[in-house]
Amino acid sequence: MRYSLYLLIALVVVGCSSYAPTSQGTVIDLASLQPLPVRYNEGVIPLRVSVAAVISPRGTAESYQLLLDYLSEVLDRPIELVQRRTYQETNDLIESGAVDIAFVCTSAYITGYDEFGMALLAAPQVNGESVYHSLLIVPTDSSVQTMQDLEDKVFAFTDPISYSGRVYPTYLVQKLGRVPDTFFARTFFTYSHDEAIYSVADGLANGAAVDSLVYDFALERDPTLADRVRVIHRSPPFGIPPVVVSPNMRPRQRVLLQEALLTMHETSTGVAALQALGLDRFTLLDDSAYNSAREIINEVELLP
Amino acid sequence: MNIPYSRRFLDQLWVLVGGVNIRVKIIGIVLGLVILLGIAVTWQVRQLLSHTMYTQFFEQATALTRDLAARSTDPILINDLYELQRLLQDTQSNQPNIRYAFILDKEGYVLAHTFDGGFPEELISANGVTDSGYAYTTTLNTTEGQLWDTAVPIFEGRVGTARLGLSDVQVRQTIDMVTGQLLLTTVMVSVIGITAAVFLTWILTHPILELVDATQAVGRGDFSYRVTRWADDEIGKLTDAFNTMADDLAKAEADRAEREQLRAQYVHGVITAQEDERKRIARELHDSTSQSLTSMMLGLKALSDSCYIPELQKRAEELRRVAGQTLDDVHSLSLQLRPSVLDDLGLPEAIRRHVADCRKRNLLDIDLAVQGLEDKRLPSEIETALYRIIQEALTNVIRHSEAQTASIFIEKSKTQVLAVIEDDGKGFDQSAIDWHDGHLGLYGIRERAELLSGQLTLETGIDQGTSLYIEIPLTAEYEYSLE
Repeated sequence: MRYSLYLLIALVVVGCSSYAPTSQGTVIDLASLQPLPVRYNEGVIPLRVSVAAVISPRGTAESYQLLLDYLSEVLDRPIELVQRRTYQETNDLIESGAVDIAFVCTSAYITGYDEFGMALLAAPQVNGESVYHSLLIVPTDSSVQTMQDLEDKVFAFTDPISYSGRVYPTYLVQKLGRVPDTFFARTFFTYSHDEAIYSVADGLANGAAVDSLVYDFALERDPTLADRVRVIHRSPPFGIPPVVVSPNMRPRQRVLLQEALLTMHETSTGVAALQALGLDRFTLLDDSAYNSAREIINEVELLP
Repeated sequence: MNIPYSRRFLDQLWVLVGGVNIRVKIIGIVLGLVILLGIAVTWQVRQLLSHTMYTQFFEQATALTRDLAARSTDPILINDLYELQRLLQDTQSNQPNIRYAFILDKEGYVLAHTFDGGFPEELISANGVTDSGYAYTTTLNTTEGQLWDTAVPIFEGRVGTARLGLSDVQVRQTIDMVTGQLLLTTVMVSVIGITAAVFLTWILTHPILELVDATQAVGRGDFSYRVTRWADDEIGKLTDAFNTMADDLAKAEADRAEREQLRAQYVHGVITAQEDERKRIARELHDSTSQSLTSMMLGLKALSDSCYIPELQKRAEELRRVAGQTLDDVHSLSLQLRPSVLDDLGLPEAIRRHVADCRKRNLLDIDLAVQGLEDKRLPSEIETALYRIIQEALTNVIRHSEAQTASIFIEKSKTQVLAVIEDDGKGFDQSAIDWHDGHLGLYGIRERAELLSGQLTLETGIDQGTSLYIEIPLTAEYEYSLE
């Protein structure tokens, strides 16, 4: 009789056990505020790599991880990836030497070369060529056929100084004798090409101009894009976005970096890294490959 | 000895609990059940609510922190610390529960935080993510109470960790408020419950209590009580049974009273007849028999005087002496039968003379003590009864007890007369008395006493002597009549 009473009490107690767990450990004083410690760079100085915001920062970090790992292995140094929101900022980093090497957009290179002698280290090769195009894209269900049809519509640019994403489409509008501000109903900057693609795919913009390499890569990752966007205009070929370094880089380091890039396609890890970026290899390229783009840039008046 | 102790305790408890009156019991049960239910429900709801709300709270903490982690990825990657700071501040201002938010880079350095001025360093290591786990929430003891710290890796931990500290004050307040409301409801329902219970109890127990009163009245001898029938349930049946019983008892009592009255009348008649007869015989003896004997004595005296033959004279004297003796005996018998002294001088004197007579006749030492009868006379039937009783008792003592001494004590108080007759004789076995045996006349003594609403108490045993206590009440009318 007594045992069944104890059992009953035990069941009641268990059934009533409280949910909220109690905390253990020391008491933290939230009022004792100390200044944050200053960070000192210890040990080996890493190689600082910047990638211009062609695609979203996250996308960049993912895509370039293997390449960074490859460089780290080859150069036997830690690599630090530095990203910024705009192409201009990346240019500034190179100019000041805050980063050692950068992957920049074509017009960023041209501007940088012209302004402070940004040095071309190597250029990617895709399908045997070191060129790319600017693609004018619209939603698949849109009736737009040419740039003219995009009058009084919403247009998405990428970065303010992007060649394929701003300069070229502005050039097209100018050729129609108009200015983008008045030609389009509204424009906005997406600061990355894959976001420009998705703006059109999702119907946020009636049209955009994007980097063909980025477009092809995006289609590969997401085949359903083909059902949502279509290309209405393909520009002539222009010099591919290169790999650049500061003009003040020490020659020895420059050679090492160049060699690492140029021999990348010969190693298995390098090949994997190239595949992650959708590239065949890196090659040498002369500045003259960018002249056609340079001409158009000089013609186009970019309003801030 | 544990078991007997607990048993004893339980017994005592039962006496205590069982002794509480029935109305309190019913109200107590109702109240107890309501309170028990109320408390049980409140407790259960509180537990359930607490569980649900804390689960939601956890989920909210995780969701908020994961959102923060997602939205801080790009700003960290492009090193836009201003944007990061703004993000934290917006997050905190949108969600008042958030006590703090901060971002750590992959080396564990603080990139941005919501504290004013400095940063509490101990907080950094207070929580963390395991590998690139989903989210990890823990509770921290702080100077501001208990806080829930959630850590979420940013960009699979490659970029850093987002940390959020939430306060559960609101959750607790809600739970307390609900608990309070439920308890209040319990109290209110208890009050309503008590009211209903009181009413119910009154309805249920009123007939029971009435029956209790009625039964007690019957116990006192009052058979006139009838209980009203309230409902057609078991109590109604009990009421019917009670009323029937009361009817039967009343009838039986009436019969008994009637029989008692008849019997009393009969006994009274017998005793009266006896007294009347005695009176008549005494008078007869006094009037005619004594007179006849006196005449005879006188005649014999004349005869003896006028007769000169000595033989005849002697015979006449002899006859005269016999007549004289007979006259004495008759006189004595007459007195015994109806002592006029009882009517003339009262009970004490009559008893005294009777006692003196007994002493003389038998070798028995008799003490007599009388109190309270110096001034006042008792009603004649009481005096007669007492006289006869004492007479009969003394006869028993003389004839059966073989006693050396006897004592008689008579005391009159305001309410009754007490007569005690004791002897130191051989006594008798009380349980073997046949009251109707004329031998001891105890029946007569008891009847005389009971006729006057008194009682006889007998104390005796083998070789223990005998004591008779006779108490006869004096009515108020009697007292009044003497004033």
